[in-house]
Amino acid sequence: MQVIFIILHDPNQADCELSTASVLPWIEKYRPTTLDEIVNQHEVISSLKNILKTKAVPHMLFTGPPGTGKTATAHAFARDLYGDGYIKDGLFVEINASDERGIATIREKVKMYARSIPFGNVGFRILLLDESDQLTDDAQHAFRRVMEQFSSTCRFILVANYSNRIIEPIQSRCAIFRFKPLTKTDVASHLKKIAKAEGLEIDDEAIDAIYDFAQGDMRKCINILQAASTLGKKVDEKAVYTVIGYVSRGDVRRILEYAMSGKFVEARDALRAILYLQGISGRDLVSAIYREIFALNIPEELKVELLDNLGEVDYRIAEGASEEVQIMSFLAKLAARSRR
Amino acid sequence: MTVPWVEKYRPKRVSEVIGNKEAIEAFLNWMASWEKGRPSKKAAFLYGPAGVGKTSLVIAYATEKGYDLVEVNASDWRTAEKVKAIVGSACEFATLDGMRKRIVLVDEVDGIAGQEDAGGIPAIRDAIEKTKVPIVLIANDPWSPRLATIREMCEMIEFKHVPKNLIISHLRKICALEGLECGDDVLKAIAERSNGDVRSAINDLQALAMAGPKIDGSTLAALGYRDRVKEIFSALVQVFHAKSIKDAWASTENIDVDIDTFFNWVLDNAPQQLTDPEDLERAMDFLAKADLYFARIKRMQRWNLLRYAVPLMTGGIALSKKKTPKSFVKFSFPQKIRMLQATKHERDLRNGLASKIASKCHMSSYKANIEMLPFLSFIIKNDGNIANGLARFFELSESELSYLSGKPEEVKELKVEAAKPKRKSSTRQRSEASA
Repeated sequence: MQVIFIILHDPNQADCELSTASVLPWIEKYRPTTLDEIVNQHEVISSLKNILKTKAVPHMLFTGPPGTGKTATAHAFARDLYGDGYIKDGLFVEINASDERGIATIREKVKMYARSIPFGNVGFRILLLDESDQLTDDAQHAFRRVMEQFSSTCRFILVANYSNRIIEPIQSRCAIFRFKPLTKTDVASHLKKIAKAEGLEIDDEAIDAIYDFAQGDMRKCINILQAASTLGKKVDEKAVYTVIGYVSRGDVRRILEYAMSGKFVEARDALRAILYLQGISGRDLVSAIYREIFALNIPEELKVELLDNLGEVDYRIAEGASEEVQIMSFLAKLAARSRR
Repeated sequence: MTVPWVEKYRPKRVSEVIGNKEAIEAFLNWMASWEKGRPSKKAAFLYGPAGVGKTSLVIAYATEKGYDLVEVNASDWRTAEKVKAIVGSACEFATLDGMRKRIVLVDEVDGIAGQEDAGGIPAIRDAIEKTKVPIVLIANDPWSPRLATIREMCEMIEFKHVPKNLIISHLRKICALEGLECGDDVLKAIAERSNGDVRSAINDLQALAMAGPKIDGSTLAALGYRDRVKEIFSALVQVFHAKSIKDAWASTENIDVDIDTFFNWVLDNAPQQLTDPEDLERAMDFLAKADLYFARIKRMQRWNLLRYAVPLMTGGIALSKKKTPKSFVKFSFPQKIRMLQATKHERDLRNGLASKIASKCHMSSYKANIEMLPFLSFIIKNDGNIANGLARFFELSESELSYLSGKPEEVKELKVEAAKPKRKSSTRQRSEASA
């Protein structure tokens, strides 16, 4: 016993424990926990507060661009409604539809949770269905019945980037809350707050650079700030660009450039690395190529032609064709047409 | 050599049946319940691919334990009457004391035709209900709706393909007993082609042994025992060098791989074979169209669409070659398969990481992978202290942490880069000043 006692008080040991303490990513550390902390979504927040007052909670659909606080708002709402133990007490559960997009998720997980009657006198529980625009059509149709069947025991908060990917019957059963993209002023004041709390200096150029890249996506902004802070206590424009350069590596651009300089095999291999190693979906990759086309150094007529071709690729992928094969055919066209 | 080896070397004891350990155990447990007089289910349904030992197991068991085996298969009987006559009688007058015990084996149950064998299935059902002895049903595919009621009455026992290494060592034993000299590469080739079917492997070995007591690579070739990869290569030659759609299309007749696999070979060889960019553009266009047909076939089960997909991916390719110089370029193994094999470990690691991050940060694994990983990797590369703390928060393993932190050179590079732009911007200022 004595030996253990001594070891516990060894100062080196104490240091060691300190350095292995858990460190949170800032997006978690500074995640808003109350409705008042949500940045600049005043209309949404005041409506939600009214709902809290009356306790008449409808099914809700939160839509808006990424990083505007939709998921955090759902959590904050549930915390205000049920208290700090909202998750622990089983009154709130979160399911991410993007990882489980099929009908089985609705039939099994969602139904199972929704049908059980909660303890206490709260009457209903809340199920947060995050990234619900990723649900397949079949799953959405199955879900609309569940919403009605179990509305006495469960309320749903659906979170989605695009409300138009949610089928009409679900939308009509929800109160819809639209989250606005955050403005530069919102982002700047929030980043400054975090910088202050972390003992960092950040200048306006750095904030400009962050906003240029991440736009109103607060999650991305905070990630950039935390990454840049590892380069020094003074976060300047250069530190930000170093981070951006690292995370955005220009992979898509590189694929297109390989193709344009006639290196089809290199383009193909880089394409496969993105699809299979980085795991980016074909849909996201097509969107990234779409954005790049306009910036390519090629004649305007060719851009129009490529757009037409990419549209076909996009449509075929939606039809179930292979992402890799379809994008490769696009690259082969780019390779053939962009040489003189 | 008149006795087929598959009969000659059919297992005499249960322990001699190779592979399918779980299925065998399930069968023994079921028989044990009969021995105790209280069967869990009155019949067992052994199912699975051909030649993996379903029938052999039952025969070996009967021989070893002294059962009489009343065996019937689809070729023996057809109608309700016949089933009753053979199966029924065997089942009902069962074990009078002193008589030998009996098992009824109904083989090839899926071969009972619906129309011609009217009443056959109900008769089996009837027999199972009344039986006083174990009934074993055997089929390759037990999932036909007509067998639904029978399935419910049976202990369902699935057999799987027998692993290659077990087949190889089994063949080796037979070689020793037959005094055959046979190289491991030959045995491997036979096992490879058998695709887990022990019976076909033994038949192939016997066929090869006809040529003499020594089997080597040349015997394989002489007997038309074709190498799958070689076949694919010659089919590729045909596709890329054909002059007509018909010739190119014919290439797919001689290969022993499915069309998806062959598609990948064509796809990955196209850039080397069609060096002219416009030729390649045409070829990739045809391949993309064939791929679209494959998607439609898969989605709607429209197998008749294959007649468009296949000529596009063969004939289309052959006719795309217009400006590429005529010369023979070597064909190669698909790069994609190699790439996927080489990166398996890394992909698994990334998936594991993404799901750990997803569960802590309220997002999908996909989003975690795309949005969080690059930032975390940057932070972890730069700051060892934070790295450990983050690792603790996300409960990262050693290997996950070291994957994120990357190679030490990269860390240095980052720091240099972060310091460098200052100089860059000052040169920019200078050049602006001079301008």
